[in-house]
Amino acid sequence: MWAFRDRIAVAGIGYSPLTRRPERSLASLAVEAVDAALADAGLDRRALDGLATSPSMPRYGGAKGTVEGIDVVTPWALGERLGIHGHTRWTGSTNGMVTQAFMEAAMAIASGVCSHVVVYRALHVPPGSYINYENKYSVGPEQWLAPFGFSGPPSWAASVVKRYFEMFGYSRADFARYIVDNRANTCRNPNGFWRGKPLVADDYLNARMIADPMSILDCDIPVDGCAALLLTSTERARDLKQKPALLTGFAAGTHSAPTGVPMTLDDIWIGCEQVAARLWEATGLGPRDFDNAQLYDGFAPFVYLWLEGLGIVPRGEGLAFLRDGHGSLGGKLPVNTGGGALGEGRLHGMTQLSEAVIQVTDRGGERQVPGARRAIATISNGLTKATAFAISRDEGQ
Amino acid sequence: MTVESEAVLRPLPLGDEVSGAFWEAAKAGRLDIQRCRACRRWNHAPSLACPTCGSENLGYETVSGKGTLFTWCVLKEAPAPGFRDMLPLIVAIVELAEQPHLLLSTNIVGAREEELRLGMPLEVTFERVTEECALPQFRPAREAA
Repeated sequence: MWAFRDRIAVAGIGYSPLTRRPERSLASLAVEAVDAALADAGLDRRALDGLATSPSMPRYGGAKGTVEGIDVVTPWALGERLGIHGHTRWTGSTNGMVTQAFMEAAMAIASGVCSHVVVYRALHVPPGSYINYENKYSVGPEQWLAPFGFSGPPSWAASVVKRYFEMFGYSRADFARYIVDNRANTCRNPNGFWRGKPLVADDYLNARMIADPMSILDCDIPVDGCAALLLTSTERARDLKQKPALLTGFAAGTHSAPTGVPMTLDDIWIGCEQVAARLWEATGLGPRDFDNAQLYDGFAPFVYLWLEGLGIVPRGEGLAFLRDGHGSLGGKLPVNTGGGALGEGRLHGMTQLSEAVIQVTDRGGERQVPGARRAIATISNGLTKATAFAISRDEGQ
Repeated sequence: MTVESEAVLRPLPLGDEVSGAFWEAAKAGRLDIQRCRACRRWNHAPSLACPTCGSENLGYETVSGKGTLFTWCVLKEAPAPGFRDMLPLIVAIVELAEQPHLLLSTNIVGAREEELRLGMPLEVTFERVTEECALPQFRPAREAA
């Protein structure tokens, strides 16, 4: 069991507007989100002594986005912009997912290095496409994929889904209920990019195919914007403005798919199961201990693979669970209650973490799971870079 | 100014110290896969050390070119300009006959989308993209694998 179980808390949530192609720079949006997270907790920049993120822009093929303040916001540049360098004790920047920076921030607080750390993720929609294979040659890991047109993450996810459909006899129609209900959740989320735009099943069945069987409605919506979470000790958090959400524990994955092919279904299962086993070991909890689940949906099919990998349902039954409405609000285990990355916007797991915090602090408004005590948040596809978190209501005062 | 053929506007593989022999073999019409000389495990994509036993004593051996369809997806829009005349493009992973979970990315040629089944037998065929590059592609096996 983790020695700091429930002793680190999220005490503030901050969002910039989530839009596409705004007039403002990404740095400006990041500053707004950090200030909002501090204000939510009743603090200001003077209290902030740590900043952490994963700043990279996920771009495949041609030009990479690397311009500071436009494409990316590093913690060094953001700290300078916020004017906190005089009292910052630690900045973290990981090449993995931002949720690994969240783990590091928790450890920075646990060890006493920092008192208040903001973990943020700022993402920019580049001009043109995220995936743009204009290169003449492909090198490194891409040489095994791009020459065959296997060059974009949607096609990788599609190959996972196709194998799943073929093994268990599902089709896209089985996923329509989840997609429609997820959009309804988004419409109850004030931060949601797609709020006010409900869907019906036919919208999903007729959606543009990106890589069959992955349609545009199976992919998250890239946005310009930033989300920020303020971490501190549970003890300090109890004196702040909001009810704290306690970090019961976390786990990270280290299972890779074979190189030469993208992610595979079989490796994703193994990876998710590894992350789950580590989370149960860290927290003393198990798959039945949660009343809401915030499961990574950069590609929506990962949601049912996480349900399986976590042991909530057996392999092959995750999609049936969602098809039958058990993951909808009011179902056995509401999933992505704020609409996830699919509806709220691509924030690389911050969506899942912030929604977990919202649910266990009764801040969900129309989408609140009544009396939610414990949330599980999972990020990425279960392979290396994947993380999972157990976030709990504060009942210990 | 030179006008490049559409075929070249596909991101062609640029072999490196580890992978060069794979692409050279493909150019000569052979499917060569890296194999550990110590533990005899096949390994793809090739690497500097055997992922199973850690040995750095690795070489290439020619495989049967037989395999089965592990999974696939279908692209209706060209992922780069040079794929325009290949639509719908069937992108696939093949499990080679030599070893379970020995997986290779490829395209399926000579088959329609509706004919594809998980585990169907396939065989390699080489697509000459340029004088310098041939890609190992797979088609339905003509006789039982």
